Amino acid sequence: MAYGPGQVLQGKFSRRSFIKTTAAGVVTGAMTGGAFLRQAAADGGLRSIGLGVSEINEIQGQATKDLGFPVAGQALGYGEMFSKMLNQNDQYEIAEGYYNDMRVMAPAKVWQPIDTKKLKDWDKVTDLTKTGKLTPESSEGQGDAPFRLMWCDESGTIVKGPSQYIIMVPAWHNADSLGYNPKATGRPIESWGELLSKDFKGKVALLNVPQIGVMDAALAIEALGLKKFGDKGNMTKAEIDFLIDYLIPLKKAGHFRAFWENFGQSVNLMVNGEVALESMWSPAVAAIQAEGVPCVYAFPKEGMRGWHGGLAISAKVKGKQLDQAYEYINWWLAGWPGAFVARQGYYHSIPDNAKKYLAAEEWDYWYMGKPAAKDLSDPFGTVIIKKGDVRTGGSYWSRYSKINVWNSIMQENDYLVKRWTEFLTA
Amino acid sequence: MTTVESYAKITHGEVAPRGLIGGAPAVLDETKRKFRREPGFPVPILIAPATLWLIVFLFLPLISIFIFSFWKTTGHGMTPAFTLEHYRDFFITEGFFDPKKPEFLTPSIFLRTLWTTFRFTITVMAICLILAYPLAYFLSMQVEDFKWQLTLFLLAMVPFWTSYLIRAVAWLPMLGRHGLINEFLVGIGAIDEPVSFFLYSEFSYTMALVQLYVVLAVGPIFFSLAKIDRTLLEAARDMGATPFQIFREIIAPLSLPGVAIGMIFVFVMIMGEFATAVVVYGGKTSTTGTVILNYYAIANYPFAAVNAFMLMLAMMIGVVVILRLVDIRKEL
Repeated sequence: MAYGPGQVLQGKFSRRSFIKTTAAGVVTGAMTGGAFLRQAAADGGLRSIGLGVSEINEIQGQATKDLGFPVAGQALGYGEMFSKMLNQNDQYEIAEGYYNDMRVMAPAKVWQPIDTKKLKDWDKVTDLTKTGKLTPESSEGQGDAPFRLMWCDESGTIVKGPSQYIIMVPAWHNADSLGYNPKATGRPIESWGELLSKDFKGKVALLNVPQIGVMDAALAIEALGLKKFGDKGNMTKAEIDFLIDYLIPLKKAGHFRAFWENFGQSVNLMVNGEVALESMWSPAVAAIQAEGVPCVYAFPKEGMRGWHGGLAISAKVKGKQLDQAYEYINWWLAGWPGAFVARQGYYHSIPDNAKKYLAAEEWDYWYMGKPAAKDLSDPFGTVIIKKGDVRTGGSYWSRYSKINVWNSIMQENDYLVKRWTEFLTA
Repeated sequence: MTTVESYAKITHGEVAPRGLIGGAPAVLDETKRKFRREPGFPVPILIAPATLWLIVFLFLPLISIFIFSFWKTTGHGMTPAFTLEHYRDFFITEGFFDPKKPEFLTPSIFLRTLWTTFRFTITVMAICLILAYPLAYFLSMQVEDFKWQLTLFLLAMVPFWTSYLIRAVAWLPMLGRHGLINEFLVGIGAIDEPVSFFLYSEFSYTMALVQLYVVLAVGPIFFSLAKIDRTLLEAARDMGATPFQIFREIIAPLSLPGVAIGMIFVFVMIMGEFATAVVVYGGKTSTTGTVILNYYAIANYPFAAVNAFMLMLAMMIGVVVILRLVDIRKEL
């Protein structure tokens, strides 16, 4: 099952080419990806696995050029990435993973503690991941925020930070919310509560990943004032029951048009006029607009749902490869890849380093929230931002001052999946 | 060659005409046939590759799934143990034995999901049979020319040439709110507003599954119908049987093995379904396949194993029931 923080769509965003690229991606992922990885290992380089967000040929290609040893990347679907990271840590050196999986990965000890003293730019990494507050006024947000799960001791056990060791080096991140077609909704969407509004009955879609779908629904229920959750990132059984029991009659009444599982589906749902609003990953907006359908990414007043990716080193890595792993991570932090993914809307843990590799207009649009001074392209050269466009939610700092909740794995995860199954079967 | 001539040839010890269509079965001495073996490679060499393959890639994994279903989950994997708690969770919900609770005697969601998966599979199988049988009958009985038979049969298989994903996704522009059917209905004034009922509904799910798997039923039924000795039908006609009698007494019983094999294919495929529902049903249902996937995704492997094992058991029971209804060995 492909889920998670977003998926990269290369080239033009047409529906037909999406199917093609997906199919091609599956083939290359399965065939050449594995071969690349083996080759890189044979040549004394690094193998890296992750999602299409950070595993992009251009990025690992540039690393190979800059570092002088081969770095091979393999982009997987979320499910495959998760189980490969967890069960086959001899099959990769670098895991480009996500903090919301840390409650599983850390106790499994599949990754080794990373010494921050060996990270050149560690001091420049913002406080978003160190203390949870990007600016002193920021709220930390509920759930698996990186600062709660990043710090560890020498043995790799999670500790309350700060400490000298971390399990994963923070890198790319973003915040998700709702995407909507303003023509279909007839009004701007400014709250998560709209997801459950009767006005949009039969025109709403949720993400079919229990851990995330349930959080979006909880944000909506809280916004409507129906219930206050103690911690939406770690709900109690009673809270999960309340939520699912509220959703089941809605589903029976036909409130939800669909539950999507991958990026392409979320795009198609809106392009085909099946939904008016849905939970969405931000790159989908550009993809939908490219099809001539108006689409806005909402910045709900309750705050967004954040997620954060980073780089971890397999516990099996040692010697020369360990030095290379640190080199690769230092190269990531230095900014080139951060600038690369910024053109798709993702932020870097050291904004100033990404800035070095961005044009002034790009920096102003993506980070500062200013109107685009000219047409802007995605990393592959397709214009996705028209002159004058403004990113919703304002600057990076204003967006991240208000993260409501972070993608999480709850302690009651099993129970959650069980009740979610019941919800879908209802 | 007339029928009488062909039989005359067979009885004279010649080999029966072998061929796909209308080939008369060789009339051989039963006892001889049972023990006769073609000379050539020894049996162990012939069956070794398949046996090895099955042991390594089927039996061992199946056994490990069964063993894992008793292990304990750690939150990030599993450890060897012997616990029945996953089986308990599969069958019953908390409060099952408590008359005061609303869950009293309610089977768990996982058992109910398996049941809905099964019920739905039966529906799709029935529709597949209704569509496939006449089609196969037409191909084998009404089309005389072998070339045409083969051509039409291959044409019926065309959907199988494209990838699974394309076949499923192709329904979207057809059934959607702004899809062909809706545009057409609005165009001719049959409806005022596009209806949402066509897509992301049980309707679209059923349609897509039938279209995806009906060819699996057509093939075997076609072959078993084609194998029926035409002289039998001729004889029945000569003796004054009506077409319906011929069908009931000869064609239907003789085509049963094909029906059984076709239904087994469809049954097994749809019981294991999890992807089609996402595409054409908008993920608005759960099958045991999706449950397995969801628990695999959160590293609860033992519980995924329990579901996988129960699904396999349900499939095996289904196949046994079908084989009980039709004795394929005897009929073939």
